[in-house]
Amino acid sequence: MADMDSAKNRYLSEYLHKALMIKQGAEARVYRGTFLGKSAIIKERFHKLYRHPAVDEKLRRRRTTQEVRSILRCRKAGINTPVVYFVDYTTHCIFLEDITGSKTVKEHIVSAQASGHHIKSLCALADKIGQVLAQMHDEDVIHGDLTTSNMLLVKDAKDVKLVLIDFGLSYISALSEDKGVDMYVLEKAFLSTHPNTEALFERLLKSYTASSRKAPSVIKKLDEVRLRGRKRSMVG
Amino acid sequence: MRLTQDLELFPENSVTQFLFKDVTNSAELRQMAIDGEISCALINPSMILDTFQILIAANKAVHLQNIGKMKTRSLYSEIIFNLSPTNNISDAFKKFGISDNDNAVLIVLVHKKDNLNKEDILCKVKGEQIPADHISSLSDTAQIKKLYKVTPQEEKCGSVLDAIVCRMATKDVL
Amino acid sequence: MTVVIGFEGSANKIGIGIVRDGEVLSNPRRTYITPPGQGFLPSETAKHHRSVILTVLQEALDEAGLKPADVDCVAYTKGPGMGAPLVIVALVARTVAQLWEKPLVGVNHCIGHIEMGRLVTGARNPTVLYVSGGNTQVIAYSERRYRIFGETIDIAVGNCLDRFARVIKISNDPSPGYNIEQMAKKGKQYVELPYTVKGMDVSFSGILSYIEEVAHKMLSSGQCSAEDLCFSLQETVFSMLVEITERAMAHCGSQEVLIVGGVGCNLRLQEMMGVMCEERGAQLFATDERFCIDNGAMIAQAGWEMFRVGQTTELADSWITQRYRTDEVDVAWRD
Repeated sequence: MADMDSAKNRYLSEYLHKALMIKQGAEARVYRGTFLGKSAIIKERFHKLYRHPAVDEKLRRRRTTQEVRSILRCRKAGINTPVVYFVDYTTHCIFLEDITGSKTVKEHIVSAQASGHHIKSLCALADKIGQVLAQMHDEDVIHGDLTTSNMLLVKDAKDVKLVLIDFGLSYISALSEDKGVDMYVLEKAFLSTHPNTEALFERLLKSYTASSRKAPSVIKKLDEVRLRGRKRSMVG
Repeated sequence: MRLTQDLELFPENSVTQFLFKDVTNSAELRQMAIDGEISCALINPSMILDTFQILIAANKAVHLQNIGKMKTRSLYSEIIFNLSPTNNISDAFKKFGISDNDNAVLIVLVHKKDNLNKEDILCKVKGEQIPADHISSLSDTAQIKKLYKVTPQEEKCGSVLDAIVCRMATKDVL
Repeated sequence: MTVVIGFEGSANKIGIGIVRDGEVLSNPRRTYITPPGQGFLPSETAKHHRSVILTVLQEALDEAGLKPADVDCVAYTKGPGMGAPLVIVALVARTVAQLWEKPLVGVNHCIGHIEMGRLVTGARNPTVLYVSGGNTQVIAYSERRYRIFGETIDIAVGNCLDRFARVIKISNDPSPGYNIEQMAKKGKQYVELPYTVKGMDVSFSGILSYIEEVAHKMLSSGQCSAEDLCFSLQETVFSMLVEITERAMAHCGSQEVLIVGGVGCNLRLQEMMGVMCEERGAQLFATDERFCIDNGAMIAQAGWEMFRVGQTTELADSWITQRYRTDEVDVAWRD
């Protein structure tokens, strides 16, 4: 890691060395550590050695920037996302609030299905997801990587909060096409991760539609994108 | 009374905050800071909601100093600049630095872990020291919300402090 | 022992292969090559296949040293692919099945690639990157389906490369992709191109229209060479493919990658995927052009698996389809 060795970044590499790595994702390593006395999540977009250095630098910089921009935009609109504590643009590292006592929506659905709960027990969750995503799209934030692993559930005193995370592939767009593709990405991730949940996803879409004035044109685009997938001739 | 926090990212450094009320010599202190007689950041406590806000600014200042990318001339002016939600330097000083008529001051020092040289500064302050974590008793929440443009909507998903910290951390890419 | 003969002709290759219990006995193939700047059209491709298919069939039997009576089952590509060439190949397969009185089995082309890749490389439960002229998919097996985790939301990566080759008139012999790969080795300068990953999906149409727009201007002004463009295009699109493969692996917790399909023989793609795998402590499986590129043995191999579990196709159902998704097939032969 060329830049991690240089004196400028010595502090960060020593710090991460002592932190606890909790996940190695496709493009980032995620750590838990203490930052200014608080528990924090550190997301390090490390070098990907397989790609050309110019591509690598461009992607790491762009994704770090987009991630914090979208988080701020969501928070301003009252959508739950982790607080950003600190961003290091030289090593493409983000220090974020540690959402304690949370579990992913994926874990929640998997355990509900495993314990034989009827799909109906998950309806309220589907409604909530639809609502929050509609709100996010109303702010013209395209998440870019919607999956059930990128949504956290946190129980607080009153109710259950849905927290959106991992905005690395996000961008700002008002186009229904982009929002439709965002929902398409979620649909595929949702249905491939959780078999036999078609009805649940329908419910999510219904809630999405009911929550935003702009939703009907997004759903129309979603239908088009789905059709493109099915119609593709796939020659060769 | 004082509050000291280590910067985990820069382990040889710590940040210490001292809070004073009923200060009568703000103008004098400000001049001493400008002349380099005292080395510290003098901050207007009414714009500070929580000592964490200072830590965020100080950590970022040390980081930028390290990589040679500070926007201002010194570490302490950089802390004041980092508190601001905008990239306007003189505006940041007006809002977050102390003015000649202020009667409270938050003093911030960045120092080597076991080497806090506080006496030569503290003895110059004419005022009453109070615990640093009582800062919220001096903060002007309405002004703070206005300056950082915190909306009621945003308070639904977190505290005002969260909103402030996010803006400070991300202002360079907006 | 079970002997299956497989007929493949869904695009510009016509191949017939014979497989006996995991052993490839023969696998001859012909490619319809068009002049530079031109793609292959369905009717002309069908004409090409029709003119050589019986010769290829004879070669397959001779090379394997078998008589029709030795064959247990006739497999053919049911889809996806180009209509006219699929029809020709299915017609011949149907005819020999009746003449030889053997059962027929219609095979999904993509499943053929996957099963051949697993056979040749020994990969057990890999995340599969299937990349060709018509397909770009990241696939993983679960609960009797090859599920598509990521794919292109517009054109296939091979299609993007082929159309780029046409724009700057790169030869189609032996294939545009091969020639781009050779030219890319001489590229020095990286030209920035759009990079579009959406979740585990990719999009190539933006890159293609961008490069179509700027290529001639950049080349004529001497800003970069054709080799630089080949290099930059490969670096960009392959990075996208490796990234979505890694995303799928992280998602599924998988430690094996198998690359199949015509674009899969590109050594730069294999090299990049190898580096990614090494970083994750995963293992890469790839095949060479004999099996990456469309061939008859892959259809025979998937047919062999299907025949083994009793999945055969009645004559009345032995039609073809241009659209046939990988995840539609009931994968009864795996557990």
